[in-house]
Amino acid sequence: MFNYNFRWAQALNSLPRMLEGALVTLEVAILSMVIGISIAVILTLFRLSGSRLLSAIASTWVEIARNTPALFQIYMVHFGLGGFGIHLSPYLSLLIGIAFNNAGYLAENFRGALKGIPETQTRAARSLGMTPVQAFRYVVMPQMLRISFLPMTNQMVWAILMTSLGTVVAMNTDLYGVTSDLNARTFRTFELFAIAAVIFYLITKTVTLSARLLAARLFRY
Amino acid sequence: MKTGILASGLMLAAGLTTPAFADKLDDIISANVLRCAVVLDFPPMGSRDSNNEPIGFDVDYCNDLAAALGVQAEIVETTFPERIPALMSGRVDVAVASTSDTLERAKTVGFSIPYYAFENAVVANQNVEMTDWEGMRGKTVGATAGTYEAIWLEEKVAEWGEGQFRPYQNQADVFLALSQGQLDATVSTVEVAEANVASGNFPGIRIVDKAPMVPDYVALITLREEYGLINYMNLFINQQVRTGRYAELYEKWIGEGEPADLTIPGVYR
Amino acid sequence: MMFFDTALTTNDLIFLARGAGMTLVVTAISVFFGTIMGIAFGILRHQIGPWWAAPLTLVLDIFRSIPLLIQLVLANAFVTTVLGWRISGFTVACAVLSLYTSAYCAEIVRGGIEAVPPTLRRAARSLGLTWRQDMTSVTLPLAARIALPSWIGLALGVMKDSALVYVVQVVELLKSAQILITRLQEPLFLLLICGLFYFLISFPIARLGGYLERKWSND
Repeated sequence: MFNYNFRWAQALNSLPRMLEGALVTLEVAILSMVIGISIAVILTLFRLSGSRLLSAIASTWVEIARNTPALFQIYMVHFGLGGFGIHLSPYLSLLIGIAFNNAGYLAENFRGALKGIPETQTRAARSLGMTPVQAFRYVVMPQMLRISFLPMTNQMVWAILMTSLGTVVAMNTDLYGVTSDLNARTFRTFELFAIAAVIFYLITKTVTLSARLLAARLFRY
Repeated sequence: MKTGILASGLMLAAGLTTPAFADKLDDIISANVLRCAVVLDFPPMGSRDSNNEPIGFDVDYCNDLAAALGVQAEIVETTFPERIPALMSGRVDVAVASTSDTLERAKTVGFSIPYYAFENAVVANQNVEMTDWEGMRGKTVGATAGTYEAIWLEEKVAEWGEGQFRPYQNQADVFLALSQGQLDATVSTVEVAEANVASGNFPGIRIVDKAPMVPDYVALITLREEYGLINYMNLFINQQVRTGRYAELYEKWIGEGEPADLTIPGVYR
Repeated sequence: MMFFDTALTTNDLIFLARGAGMTLVVTAISVFFGTIMGIAFGILRHQIGPWWAAPLTLVLDIFRSIPLLIQLVLANAFVTTVLGWRISGFTVACAVLSLYTSAYCAEIVRGGIEAVPPTLRRAARSLGLTWRQDMTSVTLPLAARIALPSWIGLALGVMKDSALVYVVQVVELLKSAQILITRLQEPLFLLLICGLFYFLISFPIARLGGYLERKWSND
């Protein structure tokens, strides 16, 4: 039926290398989420601070992250900063690019989540003698993170998918990088990328399913 | 839905492929157009002029081939990693893209006889101490993914066991990274290295040394089974040399001097 | 920096504008077909129930679970190399992006329909409206209102994701900028132009989406 000879055996020989790449992909995605969530919390605090300057910084970050392509952001981290003499390895460029993107989207999610938390709670906490930071840390933030759990899971999936953009900054150890490296040597494009697609699918499914299980355990009331 | 597309697609494919058993050479002549993949971030072999029109040795070579066939030439820009996929996917008929004739690639595509031969040079950032090619040991080096130089360099880095290799997606990014100091050195063909140093587009780079590689013979490529076309291209390359057109193009794009020798002493073809 | 002293000519700006045009055309086509398919899939999924819709759900889920870059490379390799069709990169790009859009759009549509209170729909049916009338006059208008802000977000997302179609040899905005960078060596300047273009289109529309969301969630 097809005028094409599949060479699955040759492509499957590369499976161990691709699986190693999958671990790197997962590592970058997880780190980018940890960094992204931390920065998003800080950006949210900036917005709540009432300082014009701080909320302008937060808004600029969020709007740039949300309104330009992730590919552009990652390229900019590597070659843009490179123009100013700041040299980041491919790994760091990719990680920072994705974390930048994550932080912007998550900060926006957090803002939406805050709307669901009544102002009166903060006031009650304050009247109990908590400082504003304590009120945020112990009363608001836990609820905010809880409400944002689903969007955070989605962002994690996005982070995994975004690792595929690393080749533009010469990243060659993640799953996409390894696959495209193998492809540049052997040109078994269909076989190699089909395998990569299956691995990506399994990773994202594992992540979403475990997030669902985690949510069921964490938020059982 | 999916099966619908598939079914209609299959019918379409059947309709397109059944009538004749013409080979690619016939197809090109009857379509009256030769589509060449050319890499345009690889001066002087391929680049763009101030109107963003393709120019260079490879562009002229494609035009010559089209003229010999009596058809129009169409230049399709690809990057180095994309040129063979573009050929395999039928987006182009041939690639005139300085393709090194490696045995690994010959498993997938069909090569003509060499139409050019490069020597490779080590190019370094000015701020990096380096006197010869072995100075690359332990440094951060890079090249365009999938090229002859990249494969050689990556193997060297693995052999040295120190330093780092970075495959960028196109030649321009390699020189940009080198110029910014993100890379300490790269290996590139002497012609391209000289053109990039001379252009002044990439401040802070210098040629250090020749790379100790077997000369990089590059050939025209098409699909593996297109013997008719390969045969035609072989004769065409022979004629280019015979008629002096090869020397003429060499002078136009690379400069004065003896054009690279395309024969290998002591062996046929 | 060369911000004011640039070698960029009118010709180059036209070249960039053509890339930007390609970005917009690919986006428009993909969002158009993606939305039509998305609405169909979304209604279908809601109508036939999760059990029967499982195969459809699974297929659509694949588009949301693997990187778009791989979808493009794989579809391109399958259609052109394995099947051997003569198809332009532009067609492949639009087809893949349309399906990709439809996968997300189906979720949005389903969410919109499910947000319409079932009691309202039962009331509509008990007033004598047929399923069709209920759908077209009651459910879909309400669902559209709920779904519109997310849909705007999706359309903008597709525009930004269209930057990846360079892998199938489509010269869109980011790729044209790269071509110019190769020649002119003004990476930061050109990339900033490029980023600004995406931003100037995306930002106002995103704001509009946010405004609609706020306005409509109040009543």
